[in-house]
Amino acid sequence: MVGQSPNRINDADLIREAQHGNRAAFEELVRQYDQAVLRLALHLTGSEQDARDVYQDAFLKAYRNLGSFRFECSFYTWIYRIVTNLCLDHLRRRQVRKEDAPVVYDENGVEFSIIDQVADTRSGASPERDLMRRELGARIARALQKLTPRERMVFEMKHYQGLKLRTIGEALNTTEETAKNTLFRATQKLRAALADMR
Amino acid sequence: MNCEWVRQNVALYLYGELPDDQRHEFEQHANRCDACAAEVAEMRNFHEQMSVLPVAEVSPSLLAAARMQLQEALETVEQVRGWRRFVFDPMNYLRSARFSPALAAALLIVGFAGGVGTTYQIARNGMIVSPERHATAEASIAGVRNIIQEPGSGNVKIQYDRMLPETVQGSINDPNIQNLLIMAARSNYNSGVRMDSVDLLKQKPDDARVRESLIFSLRYDSNPGVRLKALEALGGYVKQDIRVRNAMLEALLNDNNPGVRAGALRALEQVRGDTSVRQALQLLAKEDPNEYIRNESRRVLASMPQID
Repeated sequence: MVGQSPNRINDADLIREAQHGNRAAFEELVRQYDQAVLRLALHLTGSEQDARDVYQDAFLKAYRNLGSFRFECSFYTWIYRIVTNLCLDHLRRRQVRKEDAPVVYDENGVEFSIIDQVADTRSGASPERDLMRRELGARIARALQKLTPRERMVFEMKHYQGLKLRTIGEALNTTEETAKNTLFRATQKLRAALADMR
Repeated sequence: MNCEWVRQNVALYLYGELPDDQRHEFEQHANRCDACAAEVAEMRNFHEQMSVLPVAEVSPSLLAAARMQLQEALETVEQVRGWRRFVFDPMNYLRSARFSPALAAALLIVGFAGGVGTTYQIARNGMIVSPERHATAEASIAGVRNIIQEPGSGNVKIQYDRMLPETVQGSINDPNIQNLLIMAARSNYNSGVRMDSVDLLKQKPDDARVRESLIFSLRYDSNPGVRLKALEALGGYVKQDIRVRNAMLEALLNDNNPGVRAGALRALEQVRGDTSVRQALQLLAKEDPNEYIRNESRRVLASMPQID
């Protein structure tokens, strides 16, 4: 892709600098990817604190192991591989503990529901419609939690983050075909879980 | 291709993941088969339903806090080099598995306390302080640019970037409001905000910067609703502005949404004498996967004067 070349060259320079111990170069590299990483972690964990933990662990791991980065894949794929592994660990831990939807706190320490984000605050929105959206939002959140961690991850990266299945396969260390099959299973389960809402 | 194959691949079709030839066959089949057309409609409905749960936008303060926490944590880690890469470090494993949040929180508290202490020392030493400093507590610090120590005095000058949430209110004619709307239309992660920005910018397409921004949205926005709004606003400028015409042609040929392509086709009808438009229409009349667009292209071509 011609449009991506300048970034790739820039990334390569920054990675080499960072591999020689230049922290500023690494931080510059972080800034190119960290919003996307944080957005993925935030939507997946539903908690700002957990998203920050995933963010921190991912970039610290990347920094520690940057010496082993051999330019065999793009830094984008490499960092997503680290992030998806951490997110999968997080989802597995949550599943083992059988945790419900996490209680979310904003930066002021005030509790709020992730479902509040689905509220239709536009002018002209009726309370009934708002209530229905909230109910649907809650049902979707529960249905997503019932997927296996891998199905959840693939669906999240495809539907909400808009990544290509090829990228998702690479990030999950699997083939595009397997990612396709996982997406199919996730979609079927979600459709079945939400069938009565349509 | 059969109905079972269509059912297996309907999700991939809607996510734009089918190769062009399979996509074409898929559409051909769905146009002929009522059951498969219903399956496509059902899946489209499911997509809309799932979009009720929005992708939470990362707030500037969350991003700044995460960056600051990482910066501090990076002070204490080293890159794994040489043979050490192959050695299992149990302490490191334990730290990363169990103690990272606590360690990071402790570092954050120490950093915050250090910052407060330093500020107190600076204030006590009577250093001239920028009035903006008082807002620091409400803002998030995005990063420290540089630190200069005055020789012999013990005073320190720190230059940093901060992020502070603000609200602004004003007329659409206010250049500041327009700047913010242009910024939101280009870079906001929330497509609802981009949609609202473009909707407001539609009122000012005469302004060159606004028109530039609308062209950008038509070309690059990932949300077809936003692209359609930008297209509506630019429709009246197809004749007089060649950049608008080029953007419309690009949308007509390359946009993956049939609604946007159909809108571009209607707008370009005003300049059907343009040879580029004629060539694009000839191509679409033959190859566009959408039947409506193929038919419309033929209709516009038929209404054009013949050139020998």
